[in-house]
Amino acid sequence: MSEFDSALKIFAQESEQLLQDMESALLTLESDPNDSETINSLFRAMHTIKGSAGLFGFNPIIAFTHEAESVLDKVRNGERHIDAGLISVLLDSKDHTTKLVDHCLNCPDAPLPDDLAATSSLLIERLTGKSQAHTLQSSDSLSPLHSEGGGDISLDDSWLISLDFKTDALRNGMDPLSFLRYLKTLGEIKDVLTFFPDMPKDAEMDPESCYLHFKIVFNSDASKQTIEAVFEFAADDCDIKILPPNSKIDTYLQLLDAMDENHVSLLGDMLVQIGALTPNDVNHALTNQAHARQTDIEPVKPIGEILVEQQVVQQPVVEQALKKQEQTKQKIATESNYIRVDAGKLGHLINLVGELVISSAAMNLIVDRHGLSDAGDVAASMNSLVNAIRDTALELRMVQIGETFSRFRRVVRDVSNELGKEIELKIYGGETELDKTVVEKINDPLTHLIRNSLDHGIESPEQRLAAGKPAQGSVQLNAYHESGHIVIQIADDGAGLNSEKIVAKAIANGLIKPDHGLTQQEIYNLIFAAGLSTKEQATNLSGRGVGMDVVKKNIEALRGSVSIDSTPGEGTTISIQLPLTLAIIDGFMVGTNETRYIIPLNMVAECIEMDSRECEINEVEHYINLRGHALPYLRLGDYFHSPKTENAKKRESVVVVKFGQDKAGFVVDALHGEHQTVIKPLGKIFEKLKYITGATVLGDGNVALILDVQGLIETAINKRKKNAALPA
Amino acid sequence: MSIEIKQLKNAAAHLAINGEMTIYTALDQKTTFSECLENNKELQIDLSGVSEIDSAGLQLLLFVKREANERHIKLSLIHHSQPVVEVFELLNLGNHFGDPIVLSANWKKT
Amino acid sequence: MAKTIMIVDDSASIRQVVTIALKGAGYDVVEACDGKDALSKLTGQKINLIITDVNMPNMDGITFVQEAKKLAAYKFTPMMMLTTETAGDKKQAGKDAGAKAWLTKPFQAPTLLDAVAKLVLP
Repeated sequence: MSEFDSALKIFAQESEQLLQDMESALLTLESDPNDSETINSLFRAMHTIKGSAGLFGFNPIIAFTHEAESVLDKVRNGERHIDAGLISVLLDSKDHTTKLVDHCLNCPDAPLPDDLAATSSLLIERLTGKSQAHTLQSSDSLSPLHSEGGGDISLDDSWLISLDFKTDALRNGMDPLSFLRYLKTLGEIKDVLTFFPDMPKDAEMDPESCYLHFKIVFNSDASKQTIEAVFEFAADDCDIKILPPNSKIDTYLQLLDAMDENHVSLLGDMLVQIGALTPNDVNHALTNQAHARQTDIEPVKPIGEILVEQQVVQQPVVEQALKKQEQTKQKIATESNYIRVDAGKLGHLINLVGELVISSAAMNLIVDRHGLSDAGDVAASMNSLVNAIRDTALELRMVQIGETFSRFRRVVRDVSNELGKEIELKIYGGETELDKTVVEKINDPLTHLIRNSLDHGIESPEQRLAAGKPAQGSVQLNAYHESGHIVIQIADDGAGLNSEKIVAKAIANGLIKPDHGLTQQEIYNLIFAAGLSTKEQATNLSGRGVGMDVVKKNIEALRGSVSIDSTPGEGTTISIQLPLTLAIIDGFMVGTNETRYIIPLNMVAECIEMDSRECEINEVEHYINLRGHALPYLRLGDYFHSPKTENAKKRESVVVVKFGQDKAGFVVDALHGEHQTVIKPLGKIFEKLKYITGATVLGDGNVALILDVQGLIETAINKRKKNAALPA
Repeated sequence: MSIEIKQLKNAAAHLAINGEMTIYTALDQKTTFSECLENNKELQIDLSGVSEIDSAGLQLLLFVKREANERHIKLSLIHHSQPVVEVFELLNLGNHFGDPIVLSANWKKT
Repeated sequence: MAKTIMIVDDSASIRQVVTIALKGAGYDVVEACDGKDALSKLTGQKINLIITDVNMPNMDGITFVQEAKKLAAYKFTPMMMLTTETAGDKKQAGKDAGAKAWLTKPFQAPTLLDAVAKLVLP
């Protein structure tokens, strides 16, 4: 340690001791203001520090303690009376001296930071008793700022704007007063502190140069970006620092919490995204950092620390952002346990598993046919393995729907801005899984339905308030599993569907007749018919009358269905039912004559022998009396015109199928039982076939058709209606 | 744009500013102020004729105030015109200068 | 006393729109159709803000700003450039010449009034 260094150390210790003595002396004076010895010790403290600082050339300390010393000298000589006010100023001066000493010891060559300089001049004014009224006020509201770090600023509801104009500002036509006047149009200026620490003395002062600095305490609801834009034109001629009010910290913290992990990135970008910083703040800090890296004087500070030092953001916000960053990093680390696989390879695997399922069925058939009882056990265990492989392979392609859902946050945000509505998107059941191929295809219909809800469903804030609802509307996305299907619901709390309008429009378009006799439910479902849009004025989002029918078609192409429910004034719910996968299903095989059909197993409610006690057919009115309930039915053989074989009057059976609320019975000749069905799409020519959605290859090489249960149930119900309408 | 100087008594002067106090006039006005600061112990600046004041003008007044304080010259600003009052109010500077501001009845106080 | 703003643009329609907007906000307006015309109209009146287009016949906006800045009465007057590009050489050239403020075309009246109010309130 050099001699100079050790001298500095002594100065540091000595000052600390003196300042501590000063504080206790001041506190003593509060109870006994006339204790001359205590006053003397106060004077000595300032005097000694000033003298020692002079040895090291610490000018800021000298300048400040000089003023304090003179005041105390007057007190000592009885020229000035000491009172509670002066004691509090002296206590502040003591604290300030501590900071000045710290600054001079830590960075002896750096100029005094503006805030310290400002505090110096403020305290001097207070000490000398000049212009006390204003400065007292401003120092009270600003002094917490000067307590290091910027983290504990007591500006609860106010922005703190620091403007440090450069010398050429006035020459460039930038008038600080103009900006302040404009600022006033955005909010209330609670206080302004004007200071000019580097204005030169008499002849040196150039009246065309700008020496003005401002600290502004500002109340406004405007965003940081908006406030910064006030000084847009001055950006080249002024250092602008805008510190958000403390009350904003909570908002920023919440925004950080809610931030989508995909958006977590660089610290600066995150803070810009939540509005705590502007891009300019970040650029400024980065420049500073780069500069520090070049000059290499001290270790380069992290960007967060620089931002806090620049007083453009509070410590807790930076900390929270860093925490979020860390969490995300960890999440990414756990995610790296996954292997990314080419979807094509996965598709190939699933195809092979499909073939395996078919071959295994063929093998079972042969084992059965030849009555190989010892082979039967092996075949059974292989069967269960094949099942397990099938399930696992399909699971590989299962993805959570949450990611698709959260993409709509952006849609909702943008569209509601565009429409001038306030809409919140609520997401439930994001963890529900379904086949990736389904997810890909559901995106477009979902987008359309959500846009519809936003555009037609949710009313404008005024209408909502008038209807006694909160101004903010909500759209809910919900997903859950139900009997082998996934159900996706889009529910809004808007005005609901207007059935009169729909009917009027449908009649006008010739979709229905005036004496339609449709139920409310059926009327609502008309909106899925082509060429029907009830919105009087089409917007560019939706409302041209194409779309809902396309949505329905797209969903049906996925072997799904869509239905709508609505309560006027309360909202509309659209439910989409989709199969979990497009590849393999558990089927139930039935036969009429020589033809075999597959019914998805989850749609089969029960099988009953025809003409049993529970079940009685009424051919005229076209229903089956099932334990006292009328069940619409179809004879599959007749319906599909399958060739009749003459060993007729076999025993018929009824397969009761259900879809949603609806039930129907399929009358068949034979029940072949459960069958693992690998769905093969029909060729192009069969694409338009009604009520057949696909085919599968059976173990014996024959083909079975997969039935569109939903469509067939509808047909059965219609048939029943038509016949029931006949006079009995 | 001119400053009218009346020497009141020994080392006391009355300055009346007419026209604007802006960056365009700051240089000339500063010269006048500096001379007066050299030769007087008491200065009275009449602002009633100030038609416009910008940051440069304000800065000049802040400068004169500081110089006067340092040289123990008694400085008083009197008869603030409306533009001056508006700026002092914007920046909350009335107390800094410590001179009473008399509001004329003709001014619309907003 | 109302503040006076000069609008320099060779497009009569832009001049008209700007004039209507500014007058509506309480400013006095002086119109000029190019740099030369503008220079000739600077003398004999006090103008608080100059708004100028860049590309104009006879004298372009940048030259005009340079020339205006040479005049004692205008060397400190705030000047605003109307540019079509948001960033780039022209804006920088304008700033170098002395027009520190800018506005990107096309603009709407509220944007113009906002930008103007930052420099000069009516």
